[in-house]
Amino acid sequence: MEKNKHFLVGVFSDHDDLLHAIEEIRAKGVKIYEVYTPYPVHGLEHALGYKRSWMPKAAFAFGALGTTLAITMQVYMMAIDWPMIIGGKSYLAIPDFVPVTFEMTVLLSAFGMAGTFLVARDLKPHKVPRIFDIRATDDKHIMAIDLAANSLSEAQMTTLLKEYHAEEVYRRDFTDEENSPSFISYVVDLFTNGVTRSSRISTHR
Amino acid sequence: MKARQEHYHIEEHFVFSDNTKKSIFTLLGVGFILFVIGLAIIAFGGTSHGHDSHALANNGSDVVTVSESHGHGHTYHWTDRVKVAFWHNSVFFMGITLIGIFFTAIQYAAHAGWSAILKRVPEAFGSFLPYAAILLIGTFALSYHEIFHWTDSSLYDPNSPNYDPIIAGKKGYLNMPFYVARMIIFITGWYAFYYFLRKNSLAEDIEGGTHRFWKMKVISTLFIIFFALTSSMAAWDWVMSIDTHWYSTMFGWYNFASWFVGGLAAITLAVIFLKEAGYLKALNESHLHDLGKYVFAFSIFWTYIWFGQFLLIYYANIPEETIYFVERLRSDYGKFIFINLFLNFFFPFLGLMTRDSKRKAVILKIVCYAVVIGHWLDFYLMITPGTLKEHGGLGLLEIGLALMYTAAFAFVVAQALSKAPLIAKHHPMLQESLHHSI
Amino acid sequence: MQIVSEVREPLVIGGRTVKDVTNDIARHVENPPTRLWLICMAISILLLGVGGYFVGDLAWNGIGRWGLNKTVQWAWDITNFVWWVGIGHAGTLISAILLLFRQKWRTSINRAAEAMTIFAVICAAFWPVIHMGRPWVGIYWVLPLPNTFGSLWVNFNSPLLWDVFAISTYFSVSLLFWYIGLIPDFATIRDRAISPTSRFFYGLLSLGWTGSAKDWMHYESVSLILAGLSTPLVLSVHTIVSFDFATSVIPGWHTTIFPPYFVAGAIFSGFAMVLTLMLVTRKVYRLENYITLEHIEMMNIIIIVTGSIVGIAYTTEFFIAWYSGVEYEQYAFINRATGPYWWAYWAMMTCNVISPQLFWIKKIRTSIIWTFFLSIVVNIGMWFERFVIIVTSLHRDFLPSSWVYFTPTIHDIMSYAFTFGLFFFLFFLFAKFFPVVNMAEVKAIIKDSNPKVYRARRTLVNEPLPPLEELAVEKEKTEVR
Repeated sequence: MEKNKHFLVGVFSDHDDLLHAIEEIRAKGVKIYEVYTPYPVHGLEHALGYKRSWMPKAAFAFGALGTTLAITMQVYMMAIDWPMIIGGKSYLAIPDFVPVTFEMTVLLSAFGMAGTFLVARDLKPHKVPRIFDIRATDDKHIMAIDLAANSLSEAQMTTLLKEYHAEEVYRRDFTDEENSPSFISYVVDLFTNGVTRSSRISTHR
Repeated sequence: MKARQEHYHIEEHFVFSDNTKKSIFTLLGVGFILFVIGLAIIAFGGTSHGHDSHALANNGSDVVTVSESHGHGHTYHWTDRVKVAFWHNSVFFMGITLIGIFFTAIQYAAHAGWSAILKRVPEAFGSFLPYAAILLIGTFALSYHEIFHWTDSSLYDPNSPNYDPIIAGKKGYLNMPFYVARMIIFITGWYAFYYFLRKNSLAEDIEGGTHRFWKMKVISTLFIIFFALTSSMAAWDWVMSIDTHWYSTMFGWYNFASWFVGGLAAITLAVIFLKEAGYLKALNESHLHDLGKYVFAFSIFWTYIWFGQFLLIYYANIPEETIYFVERLRSDYGKFIFINLFLNFFFPFLGLMTRDSKRKAVILKIVCYAVVIGHWLDFYLMITPGTLKEHGGLGLLEIGLALMYTAAFAFVVAQALSKAPLIAKHHPMLQESLHHSI
Repeated sequence: MQIVSEVREPLVIGGRTVKDVTNDIARHVENPPTRLWLICMAISILLLGVGGYFVGDLAWNGIGRWGLNKTVQWAWDITNFVWWVGIGHAGTLISAILLLFRQKWRTSINRAAEAMTIFAVICAAFWPVIHMGRPWVGIYWVLPLPNTFGSLWVNFNSPLLWDVFAISTYFSVSLLFWYIGLIPDFATIRDRAISPTSRFFYGLLSLGWTGSAKDWMHYESVSLILAGLSTPLVLSVHTIVSFDFATSVIPGWHTTIFPPYFVAGAIFSGFAMVLTLMLVTRKVYRLENYITLEHIEMMNIIIIVTGSIVGIAYTTEFFIAWYSGVEYEQYAFINRATGPYWWAYWAMMTCNVISPQLFWIKKIRTSIIWTFFLSIVVNIGMWFERFVIIVTSLHRDFLPSSWVYFTPTIHDIMSYAFTFGLFFFLFFLFAKFFPVVNMAEVKAIIKDSNPKVYRARRTLVNEPLPPLEELAVEKEKTEVR
């Protein structure tokens, strides 16, 4: 995937300001690349116009798979492959199969959905995150606007962001290396050059 | 920063219009006609040993069979079916009424904010309590002998051929004075709590402030404690003691679960009716969503309780216990068990699973109808097989009577709703509720 | 815009800002371990080691080392199992059920409670595993693998097998839920790290999280569904544990109220353990602004509710035993209260039913000392509850010639001590290396707790509004600055 390199970054402290800014800026026809927040902001995806998450569908599909597998397994083992009378019940003691069926439904549903989430959002241990502003996981809400995708000029958008209470607005450029990072070189760089940026000592950019 | 404050229309007054009255009376009339037809069928059709088309056939047995374990003290007469139908509906509607009060109480005790806008609806349910009490006590006075086997005094007499040592052992609990005293204590207690809740709620409308809220929180907490004890005992008394020999420690909670889901569905239906009639303008999809979640979650809870009780009895296979399910499953009542499970579990589970279905009044309404009917049927299954045995049926009589009860309930609740503002404007949680969004 | 009613107390106090949350929580992960921590860890490891010796002895010589005999075949082992599983219920309750009920006060305590859940379940799982005697062949008895030890497959009609599925599902789903919740906080620690090692390891753990709106959207959906799945799951686990007893035909065990009553008891004991741990953590980590008296009071209220449910269940069992007219049931319950194990029964009644009622008094439920003391009392009481159910029902066999009295051996005691060592070892590890409070979730409620905003919102109009001009208009939006 071709990743863009030049962004305008707006920094917000208050989530209500952020939501308001998003609504107004989008109404002015500016396309927002993405917003990074330290905590889930209620109504953010709605303000950005995202479609609702489809995770429930994944959960349902995996759950249904779990139910089917559990029933098939129990019926096959207890009534077909090696039928035995236990406790005076018939081979197909359906009520006895309910607990295991339930557990397997939950198990597959939970893991199936969580796995889908990680794969769909490309979250993995060896992923090197592309961080716009390191304070996004601390206390600031970061709005990224792709310069190439918008017709307004950088100066115009900066004024717009400031108007809607962005605390800081600055330009952020990514190198090719930063856009498609290699985990190995990231680790090598980390251990040879040490940590260059940290939100703890509040150096950003 | 520009904060947006929204003004909502909260001055609402429910008018019990002639149109609404007319529909309620139509329902009553239809119920009455069905009831009379049903009555005629069993009264005249049942004089010979035939069965009316709705009755559960007892596979051609002409003799009134005497239950092995019980030794029924009397023979079946067609009026028994009427008496049992009255008892069934009285117990069920008493439950719906109580859940109205209970729901109000848990909202206060748990500091729930979202429900403030609709709190007058469950509160109004409580107004049916005196009528439910009259119906319940009246039915009991007129038909205890036919419904409760243990009221037969010869069971306790060691010299009588009817002597039943097991039932005689329960005499300390199952005797008329104690039983009636309990019934009166339960009902008076519930009514007292309802009375004070309602009084404070109405006073809050005039006075404002938060002191009424805190007062109602205390009343609610006390009511919940009282209800936790009495709902179980009422279930043993009014329902479990019908099958006098049989016992289950889960029964009180099972009964409560059934009442609770039925009541929640009824509250949801009442809210939707009001919304459709143009009231509760500030009520949004999120409120419906929450009501739907309640019905969904507690339908699963009911199923859990039902299944827990069933599985343990099925698994241990002790004859004294399994008889309860044998009577219901291996008879013509069997099909109702499956209908019961379908209406109360599969239908709400699948129907209300998605977010959208809980937010759409139409789907919610259909599911809630099914759930109310389902829990009515659940009580039917608890009460009828033990009293009527193979003579029971589910026909025009039962349906007609249920419609009549529904009409009476709707009338009383609507009357109560019209007597107070529809939205409690000084409820301290009201702004939270108005801005509710999930 | 979220509105907070005036009758609510702020959830986070002390005027903490979002930045403060990060600093207050993350600093414990970043700072070197304190002396206190090292001492606690040393004690845990000691307990683990000494207990481990006895556990090794059990594995080598067999579980005959325990005080079990042919009448009382289950005693401390299963008591401890049920006790630990019960404790393991509070975490999921707090994170799942309270999430569904939108109880926002859970945000400060859910992380530690979930961690406690996971460690408690590990301690619980230890008991059936060691009870197998030869756990290394046990895999064939508990997993649906074809084997030649009797029947070809495991027995799906057995509640013990249901337990295997329930406990392992519960453990893995709780772990997943916990981990999913940790991802954003790991990212915070990664971005604050100043040493390459911690940036590397927290980087691995944070899975490259950036906090983008799309990630959050799916993340919230996943959390909500996991909560929805965990809610019936947590009920099912103790239900199935109760089936271990209730499906059999032993008087005192076979009673239908067991499933919900065990669940209530589990939540009861779990909250007690959460309180015990959180009160200590709060003190040591100075989290008074995050775990306020309001939080403690809420947990105490849950303790009253569940304790009362348990009390009602005890009474119900007693009553129905009498009502049933079954003499075996009647004897089992009379024997509990007046038989040789009367002391255990009354210890249970005092600790579980009577003592939590003290929390009705506001002074007591908002007192840290009382809460701490009563939380330990409840833990003891819940241990006795399981002991009473298990041992008093078994020690009077159907044949009076086999009636015995169970006495624990040193192996019973020390293997129990081993699980404590294991539990605290894991908990202290967690408390050092992982953020003990869910930073992201607490940050989300900070604004509503900010005294400035909060007080401002308190005065929000609750008076009747001026009548609207147009009745047809549902609501009118006015801009207020």
